[in-house]
Amino acid sequence: MLRFEEIEKSYGQTVALRGVSFDVQPGEIFGLLGPNGAGKSTLIRILMDIIRADGGRVLVFGEPRRRQDLDRLGYLPEERGLYTRQPVLDVMTYFGALKGLTRREARARSLAWLDKVELPHVASWRVDRLSKGMSQKVQIASILLSDPDLCVLDEPTTGLDPVNVRLVQDLLAERRRSGRTTILSTHHMNQVEALCDRVALINRGELVVYGTVAEVRRRHSLPEVRVQVRGPLPAVPHVETSTEEGDGHWRLLLRDGTAPNVVLTALVQAGAIIDRFEPLLAPMEDIFLHVVREGRA
Amino acid sequence: MTSLQKIRTVATFEFLGTVRRAGYLIATFGMPLFVAGYAGLIAIPAYYTAQQDREPAVHGVVDQAGVLRLSGDVGAESGPLVPEEMRRTLEAAGQADALGSAMTSSRFVFRPFGTVDEAREALTARTIKGFFVLPPHYLTDGGVAAYGPDSLQVGGADPRNALRDLLRERLVSERLDAVTSERILHPISHTERFAVTASGEIREDGGAASAVRVAVPLAFMVLFLLSILMTSGYLMQGTAVEKENKVVEVLLASANPDEILAGKLLGLGGAGLLQIGVWLTMVLVTGLGIVPLLLSARMDVPWLAIGVAIPFFIVAFLFFGSLILGTGSLGSNMREAQQLAMVWSLLAAMPLMMLMVLVREPSGTVARVLTWIPFTAGPVVVLRASTDAALLPWWEIGGAFFVLLVATWGALRLGGRLFRVGLLSAGARPSLREIIRQARLAN
Repeated sequence: MLRFEEIEKSYGQTVALRGVSFDVQPGEIFGLLGPNGAGKSTLIRILMDIIRADGGRVLVFGEPRRRQDLDRLGYLPEERGLYTRQPVLDVMTYFGALKGLTRREARARSLAWLDKVELPHVASWRVDRLSKGMSQKVQIASILLSDPDLCVLDEPTTGLDPVNVRLVQDLLAERRRSGRTTILSTHHMNQVEALCDRVALINRGELVVYGTVAEVRRRHSLPEVRVQVRGPLPAVPHVETSTEEGDGHWRLLLRDGTAPNVVLTALVQAGAIIDRFEPLLAPMEDIFLHVVREGRA
Repeated sequence: MTSLQKIRTVATFEFLGTVRRAGYLIATFGMPLFVAGYAGLIAIPAYYTAQQDREPAVHGVVDQAGVLRLSGDVGAESGPLVPEEMRRTLEAAGQADALGSAMTSSRFVFRPFGTVDEAREALTARTIKGFFVLPPHYLTDGGVAAYGPDSLQVGGADPRNALRDLLRERLVSERLDAVTSERILHPISHTERFAVTASGEIREDGGAASAVRVAVPLAFMVLFLLSILMTSGYLMQGTAVEKENKVVEVLLASANPDEILAGKLLGLGGAGLLQIGVWLTMVLVTGLGIVPLLLSARMDVPWLAIGVAIPFFIVAFLFFGSLILGTGSLGSNMREAQQLAMVWSLLAAMPLMMLMVLVREPSGTVARVLTWIPFTAGPVVVLRASTDAALLPWWEIGGAFFVLLVATWGALRLGGRLFRVGLLSAGARPSLREIIRQARLAN
């Protein structure tokens, strides 16, 4: 679907991207992560042909990106807005028409999308009458109404209440079900865990983490398991330390190279009555913080 | 989606977004009413002044030289000299009465006084506006003494002109025969004008035809400049809107800067031209009386000039519009944008400022050089086609148009790059170095 190959970009003396390469697969929700100023926006702007890379190439739909590919791409930038003096429906129709829809089709889809984002009543409103949350949802709808094959959403849920955050997440999940690809750039790591299939983390212009969410979490986790037992925890081999967390919960740090199922077997053999056993994966937020701090150090 | 479709989409959105705005509608239809009301307001004191001028002003004359020999009050008139061609044209069009009422003469009455003291008493009593003394040696040195009230006298016709005419008439009529007197007083009563064409053919050349020949390019220049000045405001606004509303990146992710620029140019430029069109129509509708004038005067309409005016107007408008949009987008606010774009408006005004030079020598070196410069080509070609078509070869018209087309293409490209730089630079205006660097990156 999308491939960045050795993308280089500098602004004067400042290097924004250094040889960034990764793929985005069709039909996935891909998390593009990184601290502020890491180079994410630069990479997205290069993808959307807003700025040109100094080196490397971008392959879209299997070929070097062409100008006409933009009709199949959607982009919700972080710095965004709408034409405030125009009616909502006119603005949405305009954005749809710019993506190649006929005016009639764009209008019909705009109305359908206003329904989807639970704002059918604002079609004739002037944009400056919308609340911040409403405006946010109209912006998302404006981008998605052309049903782009690949869509980049930069912090789409900022400023939305939990109900609307869920609404947007549902829309993204629906896109995945219909085989559309979404790149989600966000600092909300809980959303990454909930929605993304794979992630790339860019720090200081370099790709530092890349893979499926599960892989990344595993790779960056300590060999720990949490176990809930009835009664005392029997001593078993391969466990470095055990920490009681209360209510029968224990956190066990395994010796290097020990698989969790080995410890589980040992516990059962030692007569432990186990109610719950789970390998502990590091949360994405911890991984993010760890990687970024390490980069700074 | 093709590039043309994107341009059309942007143009439609910009055009409809502008013409539906209340401010636009008020300016379009309210401005003529405002101007009419304003003109009416100014006309009231002017009307009363003109009425006052029609009341005869009595001036005294103390004729010590004995050249006037007045036995009682004598009337005299002094008015603006109407060029003969204009007078004849208006008369031919049956507009003599209109001319008479428009070109009012000031009426004077000269009242004889025996002595300076008598005249001074009359002036002190304000029964006369002033008086002249023709001293005994007037015939030898022409000196005259003029007395007036000590209050400020501003405006109004000068009674000396009327006195001068009266003196001339009296001096000549008593010394020469009637025919000679008439010729001295009116040496040229009428002129028959002829024009010799480049092929040596002689044809009648009414002065009115010359007036139309200058009027066509003049109208072109004024209308063109007005269009540039009026639409530049809309164009500036159009570039500020994207920055203000933060839709720049969404837009650039859907269409390239050249397409956006061209679309804005057509949409906003169209809205500006529509506004001027409405005003022009209102002016024409209210001035329909001029049509019989033109028809009855059988003027030579410079069709070649009118023919070339249309394509040159459109392309030159796009040329200036691209530059105004591109440079205007570099400003961080509307005021800065206007300052940056002002240079183009000044260049657009250049042919108008050089009008006299161009009219005097429509095929001279200056005119020929300006024909090939895209900033001046439109108005100058129209002027040359109107005033001296015989010396304007087709290849010069075609060549100038081609140069203008190429320059417009270049201006669109340059404007597009500046537009991209301008749109993506938030906050402070980018430096010249930054502009050049970014414009290169846009390659």
